[in-house]
Amino acid sequence: TEWNVSLWGKRRAFTEHVEKLAELVSEKTNGEFTLNISYGGLSKNKENLDGISIGAFEMAQFCAGYHRDKNPTITVLELPFLGVNTLEEEVAVSHAVYAHPAVQEDLARWNAKLLMTSPMPQYNIVGTGEPRDELAEFKDMRVRATGGIGQAFSAVGAVPTSVTATEAYNAMESGVVDTVAFAQHAHLSFGTINKADWWTANLNPGTVNCPVVVNTDAYEALSDAEREALDSSVDEAIAHYLENYGALLTKWDSVLEEKGVEKVMISDEQLAEFRKVAADPIREQWIKDMSAQGLPAQELYDLVQKTLNDVRSGS
Amino acid sequence: MEPIEIGLWVTGGLLAMVVLGMRVAFAAGLAGLAGLIWIFWAKFGYDPARFAKALTIAVKTAGQVPHSKVSSQALSLIPTFILIGYLAYYAGLTRALFTAAKRWIAWLPGGLAVSTVFATAGFAAVSGASVATSAVFARIAIPEMLEIGYNKRFAAGVVAAGGTLASLIPPSAILVIYAIIVEQDVGKLLLAGFIPGAFSAVIYGLLIVGIAVVFKSVGPPVKGFTWGQRFASLPGALPIILVVVIIICFVYNPFGGDAWGTPTEGGAIGAFIVFLYALKEGMKWTELKSALLETAKLTVMIFTIIWGVLIYVRFLGFADLPGAFSDWTTSLEMSPMVILICILLAYAVLGMFMDAIGMLLLTLPVVYPAVMALNGGESVAAADSAFGMNGTMCAIWFGILVVKMAEFCLITPPIGLNCFVVAGVRPDLSVQDVFRGVMPFFVADAVTIALLVAFPGIVLYLPSLAG
Amino acid sequence: MAGSAAVLEDGSLVSRLDRRLLKAEKLLALISGLAVFSLMILAVVSVGGRNAINAPLPGYVDWIEQIMPLIAFMGIAYVQREGGHIRMDIFIGALRGRALWLFELVSVLLILLLILALVWGSWSHFLRSFDFAAPLWSRDSSIDIGLPIWPAKLLAPVAFAVLALRLLLQVWGYGRALVLGLETPPAVPLVQSAAEQAAAEAEQLAGHDTNGSGQG
Ligand code: NA
Ligand code: NA
Repeated sequence: TEWNVSLWGKRRAFTEHVEKLAELVSEKTNGEFTLNISYGGLSKNKENLDGISIGAFEMAQFCAGYHRDKNPTITVLELPFLGVNTLEEEVAVSHAVYAHPAVQEDLARWNAKLLMTSPMPQYNIVGTGEPRDELAEFKDMRVRATGGIGQAFSAVGAVPTSVTATEAYNAMESGVVDTVAFAQHAHLSFGTINKADWWTANLNPGTVNCPVVVNTDAYEALSDAEREALDSSVDEAIAHYLENYGALLTKWDSVLEEKGVEKVMISDEQLAEFRKVAADPIREQWIKDMSAQGLPAQELYDLVQKTLNDVRSGS
Repeated sequence: MEPIEIGLWVTGGLLAMVVLGMRVAFAAGLAGLAGLIWIFWAKFGYDPARFAKALTIAVKTAGQVPHSKVSSQALSLIPTFILIGYLAYYAGLTRALFTAAKRWIAWLPGGLAVSTVFATAGFAAVSGASVATSAVFARIAIPEMLEIGYNKRFAAGVVAAGGTLASLIPPSAILVIYAIIVEQDVGKLLLAGFIPGAFSAVIYGLLIVGIAVVFKSVGPPVKGFTWGQRFASLPGALPIILVVVIIICFVYNPFGGDAWGTPTEGGAIGAFIVFLYALKEGMKWTELKSALLETAKLTVMIFTIIWGVLIYVRFLGFADLPGAFSDWTTSLEMSPMVILICILLAYAVLGMFMDAIGMLLLTLPVVYPAVMALNGGESVAAADSAFGMNGTMCAIWFGILVVKMAEFCLITPPIGLNCFVVAGVRPDLSVQDVFRGVMPFFVADAVTIALLVAFPGIVLYLPSLAG
Repeated sequence: MAGSAAVLEDGSLVSRLDRRLLKAEKLLALISGLAVFSLMILAVVSVGGRNAINAPLPGYVDWIEQIMPLIAFMGIAYVQREGGHIRMDIFIGALRGRALWLFELVSVLLILLLILALVWGSWSHFLRSFDFAAPLWSRDSSIDIGLPIWPAKLLAPVAFAVLALRLLLQVWGYGRALVLGLETPPAVPLVQSAAEQAAAEAEQLAGHDTNGSGQG
């Protein structure tokens, strides 16, 4: 069996688990089952779910925030200030949510089955000039942030500004935005770190959630041995991803040092205030909207919090 | 049959349809659709019972492409820049520029043609679309050249070649597309295009002067303009200077402060300024309406090619033709410079058959990483690199080279868009006439590209200033 | 010639239908043009808002992405009617009479085949983003401010359906020319002789150039 896998961009920390998965699956089946990974050749990233639904390819990665209406249930994982601090926690909450029947039903509309997540660290902001470490200083700040994170900044008086990722550096340089919210690897690859004077180390406003899915029919058509090879490789692929991203995060500190970027720590009181203003109303609105669509919104949110507690208590 | 073989067959079919006179956009779309059907059916082992399924997947995959590919912010620069071109034309700016160029430099041998080249270079600074530039100057400059006895093919060639300058001199939609594909800073690339664009114009000018000196019949000099007339011609062209300054300031502030915005905004604000100037010059609704209709026609024509070619490119993605090319290139044992030159030559050949944007979209995902790897990787330092420049600078340098190649393919047969447009505007010229007239400029372009390869400083001076 | 060509008119049914369809096509093309104009206004509002009152247009990129399909698709049938989609005419330009009409007919039939497939494919692309049961009927939304995307996706099958009508008329026009052996059939773009084209072009440009000549 040969599967086509639709990713985008180029091979990077964000795609290492899929690369590893391909390696493992081929190894375990003696090359009987191969994953043929394509970076952007098979589909545009915002249409990977469409491609899965059509049956054009068998596996794909996408981010929930690209198209909230396509995958309303997963957007629970993109709510601001969920409280996720590490990549391991991000994996745990994502996989718990993916296992929920309502989420599986949501994705079944696309003939898609959730396989694993692509854990992303929190979208902390870089900025120029004096560090903004108090809520009051976020007022009128033009920030490049989309979706739930954008809404959170908006709640404290900042002005979310639409700029594509590729224009982020330019927008920062030209003062179109004062700050940019990205994960570390994106601050590196889009060059925003080169423009920065400071980076918020502990704001942790939220992140995006990017699952890897497979076409349900193709998954069911696999032989038992092939399916077993695929399923059993997920944990190892994720472990490889975490190790690789961990190395990048270690490097991050030295990058900050090298470029003279200040690590800004925001006080607990300020963070609590931010959460109160931004997190609660946005979450409540989300629960209200999703419940109106007949989705078990409260249940999904509670599942995230319960999983987070379980992970931390080590059970 | 292997997907790569299917890829080669379908590509052959596409060329046949194009040569037989099918409209290019639809030939590419049809080839892509047929290829997709073939590749999905092959995957099902050519089982007749599953043909309908393969057909459905192929049609739905192709059906995504038009909306998916055109709804892009980067591509919004194309209609904006075409609109600037037409508005500038209706505001009389193009003619003012041509008049100024004529009064200042038409005394040279082949003077009117040289003036045309420099006027197109000036117009390039408010227009991002090579095709629009050629269309506009075909209307203004060709009649004057014919009036004083120019060979009509040569006159058409000058306009078709001059039009290509718009892609290098910012604003340039194609540079923006390159920047987006390779994820490099748009502003720096636009800056980098400036000197090579002006440089190309000078080489074109020298070539024309040379031709006019050798063949006296080609183009007589136009003498007799007084200094008073020369200076009187400048104010009419001033609004263009204003627009140039504004567009540049939206990309990079030469006065040292922050730039004023993003390239997308800069283009649109530039259009707005020309629009206001056209209003001041007395543009009425009927004229605005024709400007909008003309913009729509040209834009729709270009976008139809874009999505048509991209259906074909989507099929190539499934056939993995780019992947095969990549493996083959990296297995070669040659010096990086020789490989780079081979790549540029391959672009020249490919450019004969493909439209510029389609060619870049198709090849860059494969070629760009190969070139970066040849230089020593994305984060290589200048001292350790093969081409003597760091990764970022290599990306910019290669971008300018590729765009120059893409410009070159706008004037090479059989599908040279600029030549088609000139022939379209000038009913007395066939496409073949324009292709014959533009041939001398192939030499000029070859010289320009050789110099840009030998002296990367021409490209990299301005972007290195911007830090 | 690759660019513009002439379409003759007479009292025949196919010509009358051609002119009726042309009205709709021209209107759609003008909508394309106005959409380009709106891009410009959008930027002025966004830049102005940002600099004057620190209020950039929310979802600037989302709005641009919604407008682009309007620009790209609405004029497609008009351009086909005028013979404006570029092609290589080295071969086909050398043909005359029935041989020419045969090649034109086959070419238009192939395009029709592609466009019918794309009406189906782009319609299904639209359907995947559309859901009567969902808020705003939306099953696909933009990244920043969550605009429903189905209206923009619907533009493709609509514009392609109009193009399919145009292609049907051209199949009829070329087919009629082939059967009747016409020299100058109506309702289809003709490869003109140089003199005819020059006359048409001069007439068209006469109005345009008055504005510019004041500067010259
Ligand atoms: Na330009
Ligand atoms: Na060409």
